[in-house]
Amino acid sequence: MIGVLFRHHVRLHRVPLVPLALGLALFEWMMTFVAREPSVTSFLTSALRAAPPQFLALLNQDLVAAVSPQGIIGVGYTHPFALIMMAVWAVRVPSASLAGEIGRGTMDLVAARPVVRGVHVVAAALALLAGLTVLALAAWLGTFVGLVGRPLEGVTAWRFLPVAAGMWLLFAAAGSVAIFVSALAREAGTAIAWSSGLLAGSYVLDYAARVWPRIASLRPLSLFRYYEPQQAMIAGLASYDVEILAAVAAAALLLAFAVFSSRDL
Amino acid sequence: MPSRPDRSARDPFPIRTRGLRKRYGRVTALEDLSLEVGEGEAFGFLGPNGAGKTTTIRLLLGLLRPSGGEAVVLGKKVSRAVAWRGEVGYLPGDMAFWPRLSGLETLDFLADLTGRPASARVELLKRLDLSAADLARPVRTYSDGMKQKLGIVQALQCAPRLALLDEPTKGLDPLMQQAFYEIVTDMRRRGATVFLSSHVIAEVERMCDRVAMLRAGRLVTVGSVVQLRQAERRRVSADFSADVDVTALAHFGDITAGTGRHVEMLVAQAQVAALVVRLGMLPLADVVIEHPTLEEAFLEHYR
Repeated sequence: MIGVLFRHHVRLHRVPLVPLALGLALFEWMMTFVAREPSVTSFLTSALRAAPPQFLALLNQDLVAAVSPQGIIGVGYTHPFALIMMAVWAVRVPSASLAGEIGRGTMDLVAARPVVRGVHVVAAALALLAGLTVLALAAWLGTFVGLVGRPLEGVTAWRFLPVAAGMWLLFAAAGSVAIFVSALAREAGTAIAWSSGLLAGSYVLDYAARVWPRIASLRPLSLFRYYEPQQAMIAGLASYDVEILAAVAAAALLLAFAVFSSRDL
Repeated sequence: MPSRPDRSARDPFPIRTRGLRKRYGRVTALEDLSLEVGEGEAFGFLGPNGAGKTTTIRLLLGLLRPSGGEAVVLGKKVSRAVAWRGEVGYLPGDMAFWPRLSGLETLDFLADLTGRPASARVELLKRLDLSAADLARPVRTYSDGMKQKLGIVQALQCAPRLALLDEPTKGLDPLMQQAFYEIVTDMRRRGATVFLSSHVIAEVERMCDRVAMLRAGRLVTVGSVVQLRQAERRRVSADFSADVDVTALAHFGDITAGTGRHVEMLVAQAQVAALVVRLGMLPLADVVIEHPTLEEAFLEHYR
């Protein structure tokens, strides 16, 4: 039954997945062109040196790393455009698959079948993760194609695989939280509002904690704290970050499972 | 060696509820519902809006968690296993589908989820006049009547042992209503149990063996259609050959219409004999004593 429900979610959401994946791939491909232009690099070096630390914190980049071609390509993985592309999927699928079905009235048709409630949560999670895999791979393929077409000295596409994996993991955790929110809600709109709010709040908290020392201790509360692309490019994914994001995803899914199994539909 | 109990033996009551209750905070949607529906029976559920009909059906399917009591469907406690739902067909009262899916995709998906072959689909589509071209279109292009027909097909396509149908003929034209009645008749012929809620009392009277009436979440009465009609007051209509004072008959029952030469009354069964004797003392030209229709019985309960 998981397979049947998974295919159902894919069928409902496959159309928007295509432009999201193409958009991400094109964006990351474009970043490989931006990175190889000496004029852009020197311009960015000057600009970043002149930029206030708050702006650099927004980019979540180390200054030295950011002005290298590899660093500029890495910016593509923390750029709001890439994050929004991933966030659209991480909010859309969870919100539509549980709360959306309830709000539309179609959950009655599905839940009246011989399917354990928890299977709905698992199927939603699989659809979320499958779509995120497509998006993260599309982003990396954009980088790969860009670098294969016009190689950059000292920069290989393989270095960006851990970055794409880190982005996948970040949004897997965020999407799992969205599934929990969706398991509590009765309408897709409510679930989207809460999930988007939590994700945006997490992003703002990470940024604010980096530029405002008084709340620096709150940074670990943000999911974005555990997404460090520059670090991942150099040394691979930090096991601590992986463990935290995986734990958040697992806890959110377990909570969603418990809530959805016992609620009125 | 003692024989082991036959676990495959069917519960003679596909639906059994005991003290079933559902509350939303201080609001009581259903209170202390105890009823049994027998195998192969067509059971009608009547009541005004908000009486608790849909709540009952959703409790029977496990879509809602009861606040108290228990429901046993096809021999299984609703709150436990889910496998029994494979033998249940459900038509929701408010039909909703996935607008972008075609009718065929919708039916295939729901049959796959049921886990049983859609053995009755072709026959249902034929009877309800849904063509292959109709099924190829996205559901968003369907009229309300077509959606209702698709709803009936999805509920019954896997030949369920028990059908829970909430307002099944809503939006159907008279021809399709007739087709639906024939479908239910055939289902019962092969031993299926039908539990349906409806506002169309004539439909319930026509299709159902027994009827339950709900009011404000409480069971008002339950019995066979014939019993319910017989239990209610008789409708007595008398014509006289000369003017009489019909108000003198008021102590036998309620006068619903009366002139000097004609009177219509609702009279309790116990009073009928005495009324007939009294009418015999008057210049009686004609008298008709009728059981009330189910609709009149229904209205008696809800007025």
